[in-house]
Amino acid sequence: MTRTTWLMGAVAAAGLMAASLQPAAAQDHRGGIMRLLSQSAGGSLDPKINYTLQYWTMYQYVYDGLVTFKHAAGSEGFTIVPDLAEEMPTPQDGGKTYVFKIRKGIKFADGRELTVKDVVASFQRIFKVSTPTAGSFYNGIVGADACLKTPATCTLDGGVVADEAANTVTIHLVAPDAEFFDKLAVPHGVILPADTPAKDMGSTPIVGTGAYMFAAYDPNKQLKAVRNPYFKEWSKDAQPDGYPDEVHYDFGLTQEAQITAIENGQADWTLDQPPPDRLAEIGSKYKSQVHINTLTAMWYAPMNVNIPPFNNIKARQAVNFAIDRNATVKLFGGKVLAQPACQVLPPGFPGYEPYCPYTKNPGTKWTAPDLAKARELVKESGTAGQKVTIIVQDLTVDRSIGTYLQSVLKAIGYDASVKALSQNIQFTYIQNTNNKVQISVSQWYQDYPAASDFLNVLLGCGTFHPGSDNSPNIAGFCDKDIQAKMDAALALGVTDPAAANKQWAVIDKLTTDQSPVAVLFTPKYIDFLSKRVKNYVFNAQYYWQHTASWIQ
Amino acid sequence: MTDLPVTTEVGQGAAAQERPALGPWARALRKLVADRAAMGALGLFVLIVLACLAAPLYATYVANTDPFTSNIDGTTMVDGQSVALIEPSTEGLGLGSVPLGPTWDIRNYFLGADAQGRDVASRLLYGGRNSLLIAGTSTILCLVLAALTGLIAGFFGGMIDIVISRLLDVLWAFPIYLLAISLSIVLITKGFDIGPISITSGSLELPIFIIGIVYVPYVARPIRGQVLALKESEFVLAAIGLGVPSYRILFRDILPNVMTTLIVFVPLMVAINMLTESALSFLSIGVQPPDASWGTIIQDGQDLIYTRPMVAIAPGIAIVLSVLALNILGDGVRDALDPRAKLRFR
Amino acid sequence: MLSLLIRRLVQMVFVMLGISILVFLIFFATPGADPASRIAGRNASPEVVAAVRASFGLDKPLPVQYALMMERLFITRDLTSFVNRGQEVIPEVMEAAPITLSLVGGAAVFWIVGSIAIGIVAAATKGSLLDRILMVLGLIGISMPVYWLGEMVNLITQNRLHDTWLFAWVPPLGYTPLTEDPWTWFKTLLFPWLTLATLYIGLYGRVLRANLVEASHEDYIRTARSKGLSESRILLRHALRTSLIAFVTLFGLDFGALVGGSALLTEVVFALQGVGKLTYDALQNLDLPVIMATVMYASFFVVLANALVDIAYATLDPRVRLA
Repeated sequence: MTRTTWLMGAVAAAGLMAASLQPAAAQDHRGGIMRLLSQSAGGSLDPKINYTLQYWTMYQYVYDGLVTFKHAAGSEGFTIVPDLAEEMPTPQDGGKTYVFKIRKGIKFADGRELTVKDVVASFQRIFKVSTPTAGSFYNGIVGADACLKTPATCTLDGGVVADEAANTVTIHLVAPDAEFFDKLAVPHGVILPADTPAKDMGSTPIVGTGAYMFAAYDPNKQLKAVRNPYFKEWSKDAQPDGYPDEVHYDFGLTQEAQITAIENGQADWTLDQPPPDRLAEIGSKYKSQVHINTLTAMWYAPMNVNIPPFNNIKARQAVNFAIDRNATVKLFGGKVLAQPACQVLPPGFPGYEPYCPYTKNPGTKWTAPDLAKARELVKESGTAGQKVTIIVQDLTVDRSIGTYLQSVLKAIGYDASVKALSQNIQFTYIQNTNNKVQISVSQWYQDYPAASDFLNVLLGCGTFHPGSDNSPNIAGFCDKDIQAKMDAALALGVTDPAAANKQWAVIDKLTTDQSPVAVLFTPKYIDFLSKRVKNYVFNAQYYWQHTASWIQ
Repeated sequence: MTDLPVTTEVGQGAAAQERPALGPWARALRKLVADRAAMGALGLFVLIVLACLAAPLYATYVANTDPFTSNIDGTTMVDGQSVALIEPSTEGLGLGSVPLGPTWDIRNYFLGADAQGRDVASRLLYGGRNSLLIAGTSTILCLVLAALTGLIAGFFGGMIDIVISRLLDVLWAFPIYLLAISLSIVLITKGFDIGPISITSGSLELPIFIIGIVYVPYVARPIRGQVLALKESEFVLAAIGLGVPSYRILFRDILPNVMTTLIVFVPLMVAINMLTESALSFLSIGVQPPDASWGTIIQDGQDLIYTRPMVAIAPGIAIVLSVLALNILGDGVRDALDPRAKLRFR
Repeated sequence: MLSLLIRRLVQMVFVMLGISILVFLIFFATPGADPASRIAGRNASPEVVAAVRASFGLDKPLPVQYALMMERLFITRDLTSFVNRGQEVIPEVMEAAPITLSLVGGAAVFWIVGSIAIGIVAAATKGSLLDRILMVLGLIGISMPVYWLGEMVNLITQNRLHDTWLFAWVPPLGYTPLTEDPWTWFKTLLFPWLTLATLYIGLYGRVLRANLVEASHEDYIRTARSKGLSESRILLRHALRTSLIAFVTLFGLDFGALVGGSALLTEVVFALQGVGKLTYDALQNLDLPVIMATVMYASFFVVLANALVDIAYATLDPRVRLA
């Protein structure tokens, strides 16, 4: 269960109750313009291209997929519900075939009705425009490998089959996949009109079937969403009607200026976390406008297991023992904003069982670092005195954590230094083995709630691509036995998710013991809202639901 | 230049007649020493340099801190009570934390702690070492390169002059900060490897190299202009006529005359380079952690500006005092050597 | 004269060409600068990255890429960003330009007026306490890092004394266009103007004073004095005119550089999204198209200012030999 503050819980509960008991009263709250802020835009507006949480939260109320994540509070938001499909199909053919019956009468924002043709075209488009996850999420569809080779002529013949008479779309998979529905539910799987051009649409909005539509987009200034005139609510869980009439997302203000704007009531919310020097102010003077929620995410320090000194397991474990996670929590913003962590899976995740071997009293919780043990391990490993460079992003918190880590590594016997790279290149830089990065500081946020999204993506043999900028297995970790266990758990998940999760817990412990990464803490997310925003709903998958709140 | 000093002791006889007349350098030095403002500025600058050189002594014996080790959970004694170096906020929701403020106790966190719990006063002194070192060394590099290019371009003329001048044009037209920023971003990730010169990224040599290069055209132009004028003077024409080899003329006849301009540039360039280095470090592309410089400390202070402004104020004042002293000294040097020297200030 | 103009024009083109090539090379020398992976997004499979690389033309040889980029920048003018896909670069620069222009133009007004006043007063009262004080103040102005001064100004006006009548009117950091709300535009820019002008007032004040003092030793001034003209008349009517030549040339060079984006530190500290800030962000993001556009924009103004100043100097001061 996700941990939330009593504040959020109370508001969410009240909101849900209000919504379910008095649907008529909800009408009173319709209207107004929700004003959101962010320092910069989120890149391309095309839902098949964009991979940022910034826009994924908005795609929820602009687009629909065959299935989607439930528009509900907390971890209820992890549940997948039918959206454009009338109901969740049962797996056939041993889990390799799914038949989706498409709802009738759903219209795009330009008035056209959605048909099975649009569904097929949307899946083909995933490959035609080179969606980032085309090769990782959708390669299990029959015909996908041909599409990956020659995207321009992608047909997915035999993979996505439409039946106009029965109004169904059948998807055939190469092998059963326990995470199939998750992959359909993320925005890369939404359904767009069949005639959407097969290229990245950039700043040109594409019409969708959601409660809202994008009216205009200037990445330097503003993104504007207005109500979809042809929208009729068909499922409260999948695509509820929203309260505000319009959503304006303004770009360009600095974090400091944004906080000031919200305090003055000139804006309603900002995507960016408050700068550290304003935390005390908003935590005291404006505390009724602050909502804090735990994220299924982690800040961690991957260590390259293939080059010295961290190709030695004792050296890696020494680092894990030496780090004072309380200090990193303090640098992030304090106990209220983060919680120390030792293992790969975050709290509240399927398969999570508390486990921490890297503390003074090993057990389930981290209490204190063990510098003596760390120094001993370094001596035993024979790597003492080696040069180590820590690569971090040049953002305030990252840099301060990097500086702190450098102190720690020095204390246990390494000749450590820190290098800060621009946040735009650091992530690809640390993935490429050619750069010989020994240790870095990075973050990982879930794509969808599945243990494999952490363990198999970050520590699986299949995601380690030497010499490529895209190798999310930054540590370069590949253990045949553990990989076999992961494959078994993936297969088991198709038929028995509960048992599979127990397996993932075991894998979590095994990988944590191998210490390819030093997990630092589980961050929380601050939503700082203006006074006039009411009915705050936090969804564990997509965070604050913009249109589920109303403006007073 | 000023007239020969006239001795008033006419009746000294042989001793007075044997006293030699002062050469131009000695005369200039005398004039400089007599300039009270310049001497005061020199004194201030020397004081700053000495204080920064004493950084290790201060950190070890007086303040008892290690200014390069993070001390986030540490505590210290203030007025007999133990206080946390980084105090989590207790108001309201308890978000954020505030480092210790200035204690005004010279032996213990005089100017307070920064966001990593380190002693700001010690870091200020250590930072000064790097700032002064970079400013000084890059000035030497800049003047050497500028002298070389100015001399060669001015003296040999023709195609060599055209090529060098156009290269300098390109270098100068590239807006300084943009050039410095681009070079920094590249070299910081990669380091620098051309032939025998190898600079590892993350060292101080990088900012020195970048700042040294960026201002070469600024100094080379006046030098070149001076060499062009000197080329037409009689003693140079005579030397050429006598068949003296070029390099000899360059170094024996022309260079000493150009020296004056170079010397006048020294305090000026040290000041400019110090400001440039602090700006680059402020943008996080100059000195890299764990090394500190006054610019990086101002950067550290930026996030604490509203809660602990001293972290940003102190290094700023240090820069202002150093640069001011150098500017006043520079004025004095120029007045002593060549009050008519036309230099573009920048 | 015409041949001079043509020569300078050719030089301008050559210099800008050199700069564009330099930028291109620096960019591709940076590791991690390969935009294909960043554009393709995290977790993209190798085939997807390859497809993206091909669609952006990143698999072609460098000279070809350079030629394509120059063509899209200058001829078809539809160059798009690497970071914000689909966003055109030239409109982005054109939107940032007025902000920089507002900042630099306003500051220029302050520093011209301020430095002329200081220079004249100091020269007129040469040697007095007032002269000394003005010169020291000028020196202090030159010695302050502009970004630090800006931070101090922010500290006082936005935070410490913000609630007092002195600074309560100061709006939050950010820019309001002149066309939207002239009064807020003015209030927002007042302190950035003063901060940026401080450096230049000190500099130009000293230069003007030095030139005026030097001019007062010239022969033609001595003639005027012997004719019986008052000192102030001599100062304002005769000495000032010749001193302003140097002043104007200095101003041209500095203003040209600032319009191109050299005020970047002031823009960063005061959160003004001008050309300088745009360039800096693009450099941090390794967004080559935007970098190319902004650097071209900046160097154009620097080179243009250089050329104009040289030509103006040649026409105004007949003693100058053209190199």
